Amino acid sequence: MDFFNPVLNGFGVVLDPQNLLYCLMGVVIGMLIGVLPGLGPAATIAILLPLTYGIDPVTAIIMLAGIFYGAQYGGTITSVLLRLPGEASSVVTVFDGYVLAKQGKAGTALGIAAIGSFIGGTVAIIGLTFLAPLVASFALDFGPPEYTALALVGILLVATISGGTKIKALIAAAVGLLLATVGRDVFTGAERFTFSNLSLADGIDFVPIAMGLFGIGEILYNLEERHRAVSAPAKVANVWPSRADLRKSSGAIGRGSVLGFFLGILPGGGATISSMVSYAVEKKRAKDPSRFGKGAVEGVAGPETANNAAATSSFIPLLTLGIPANATMAIIFGALLIHGITPGPQLISEDPELFWGVVNSMYIGNILLLILSIPLVGLFVKILRVRAAILAPITALITILGAYTIRNSMFDVLLVVLFGALGYLMKKFGFEPGPLVLAFVLGELLESNLRRSLLVLEGDVSGFLTRPISATLLVIFVLVAVGPMIKSALARRQRDTTRVSADS
Amino acid sequence: MKASLTRRTLITTTAAAGVLALSACGGNVAGGSAESGEAFPSGPITLTVGQDAGGSTDRIARAIADGMAEDLGIAVPVVNKAGANGALATKEVAAMEPDGQNLILLNASLITITSLTVPEGEAVTLDDLDVIKGLSQDDYVLVASKESGFETLADIQESSDPLNFGTTGVGTGSQLAQAVLFAQAEIDGTAVPFDSGSPALTAVMGDQVAVSTIQLGEALPQIEAGTVTPIVTFAKERNEFLPDTPTAIEEGYEVPVSQYRALAAPKGLSEDAKARLVESVEATQATESYQEFNQENILAPWEVTGEEVVEEWNALAEQYKALIEEYDISLSGE
Repeated sequence: MDFFNPVLNGFGVVLDPQNLLYCLMGVVIGMLIGVLPGLGPAATIAILLPLTYGIDPVTAIIMLAGIFYGAQYGGTITSVLLRLPGEASSVVTVFDGYVLAKQGKAGTALGIAAIGSFIGGTVAIIGLTFLAPLVASFALDFGPPEYTALALVGILLVATISGGTKIKALIAAAVGLLLATVGRDVFTGAERFTFSNLSLADGIDFVPIAMGLFGIGEILYNLEERHRAVSAPAKVANVWPSRADLRKSSGAIGRGSVLGFFLGILPGGGATISSMVSYAVEKKRAKDPSRFGKGAVEGVAGPETANNAAATSSFIPLLTLGIPANATMAIIFGALLIHGITPGPQLISEDPELFWGVVNSMYIGNILLLILSIPLVGLFVKILRVRAAILAPITALITILGAYTIRNSMFDVLLVVLFGALGYLMKKFGFEPGPLVLAFVLGELLESNLRRSLLVLEGDVSGFLTRPISATLLVIFVLVAVGPMIKSALARRQRDTTRVSADS
Repeated sequence: MKASLTRRTLITTTAAAGVLALSACGGNVAGGSAESGEAFPSGPITLTVGQDAGGSTDRIARAIADGMAEDLGIAVPVVNKAGANGALATKEVAAMEPDGQNLILLNASLITITSLTVPEGEAVTLDDLDVIKGLSQDDYVLVASKESGFETLADIQESSDPLNFGTTGVGTGSQLAQAVLFAQAEIDGTAVPFDSGSPALTAVMGDQVAVSTIQLGEALPQIEAGTVTPIVTFAKERNEFLPDTPTAIEEGYEVPVSQYRALAAPKGLSEDAKARLVESVEATQATESYQEFNQENILAPWEVTGEEVVEEWNALAEQYKALIEEYDISLSGE
């Protein structure tokens, strides 16, 4: 009872009309900015921060949190409809989501993503409600060696999850790893592939690469295709996922929720890796893995559930330990400080009204997002009825605008154009942009954490195996790497034995 | 108060309707009319920040821009142009027309420390800038993990275990302060660079590294919660927010490292424009809301004149250079 009283009081806080209104405002703003790649929740919250000075801290944080998880919903829309993943965590959504849209099943993809996001988000909030203090220390146990092992698993999965040929996926991934090394070395300050250009000193941002390779690359490729054959405009059928789709996705949504919840707790890269792991798991479990990349509903349901669950659970380290897990959390942290509240271990006991108010507002916010999504899905899929001659320039404009807003730099616009050309060539020669982009994101995580680990462990690599979490992850790495070989060997043997028994 | 409240409500409503339009202009809508007829300012003044939105430098810029907009009666949009620790934005603004319509928020570390780690051509100097006014000072604090058991500098000296210390990156005050302190105190340690303050602090909390040096505003919540132990601060005097923690200088080591911020414009500003800008910054600094902002963000006012900023930063740059030469410290790893 002692536990439930503050929780119930928290609902009292949320149901205050003013708080409900701000919650609604937050999720709507979030959804809108989620649609625009580049303009991320972090920048939006920073800009809106001064507007919250005059209102109650609980109300302010409810709104800011709403912007954050609302943006996760919005990001799916461009990934599915326009092949524009605004964030690293929605790259894998593109693989099947965009194919579904092309098959006229955009509504299915968006609908299943909305349902998955809702369930993933809700599961993570329930986890946050009951397990937050217990699992918070998980984030602290993750040191450089653990991140190194996690990034290794992630990079291995890059090869597993892509469609197309393995060798081409590996080549693309290698290019991604190379691009990740661009910039001033964070350990020595040495210049790497910057060509004395200050704009490259911090390396290349994710958005210009993803926008160029996926967005512009696709547009250029389609323009060429249209000259060859007149393709009929995409039919927009079944706006809502069918019962069969839902049944097919239910397992993916369940697994994605749990994966996302745990990986989301990790500061840095948690959401991206969770969506990748979810996709890889679904592909592995599928009876016919070749469907993936050709419009498998689970390929959208799993990752979208996972990245939403991860977004929600990234509040755990902030609210219970006072550590911001990503850029957006850092700004919400700042917002709490401005309102005279110190996020940290004492928050639950010192300010239960705020803690439970914010946590419970997420239940409401997720319901609001689901309700908003249903009519919007029907509206958004109509975008696909727009003729390519009109849609393509608008997409290009959004893409370039998105890249520009990251740091108000024309240099990034130039990068989008260059990567657009690369994306076009890749598509023409059968290379997938997915492995490149994902390897790029993980490459940074791998390199800096490997070097950090070696510093911490004083160059003693056996340290990776004496630490329980990194050792476990490395075992998983070996299993995933060697597993398929064993499996095919077993399959061969089974085939042999069946042949033998048939003979006798 | 009433007027500003209505304005706030108005903005909030606008925000709901058109967040995108608002974000494009930096969310900084100036109220009031006023001194038309004057040559300066001739329009909105853009304040560029070389760091991402939401960090402490950005928050300072927004607080000062708000006050200046009020005083000058024009809009003062804040534009974030992150890159190369602020060098990108600073070089860009320095090359602009010196008409006072473009300002840059400077971090001292870019001038005094980063210049020690980057190639000659990339170092940013104050020669191309007219510094308008000093803003505030942000102290660094050395914190230790609970598991390490360290409570004083002497504990670290006596420990026989090899010491790993987290820094917030190459060419930062965090790195310089620790490198110089440990060299002077004859502590043998390995620097482990992190991307910024938050991961460096998290690493201490999880005992991934034994100690780390973080900006006080970031570390204070954890210090108060008792999850990390403060050892020393690096300013010239004790910090008012942490009165029981000694400074490194009190402990007998010459490590005067703090983060200072100042406002600057491209070189060649007219006397009138500069005077007007100084006046509006001073008016902002006198407001209660700005002073509250400093308190909440654990910032000590450092409201010296532009000339003093130049003098002090150049002296610090010299001093740091001499220190790393004297103790044979390499800021770019061994």
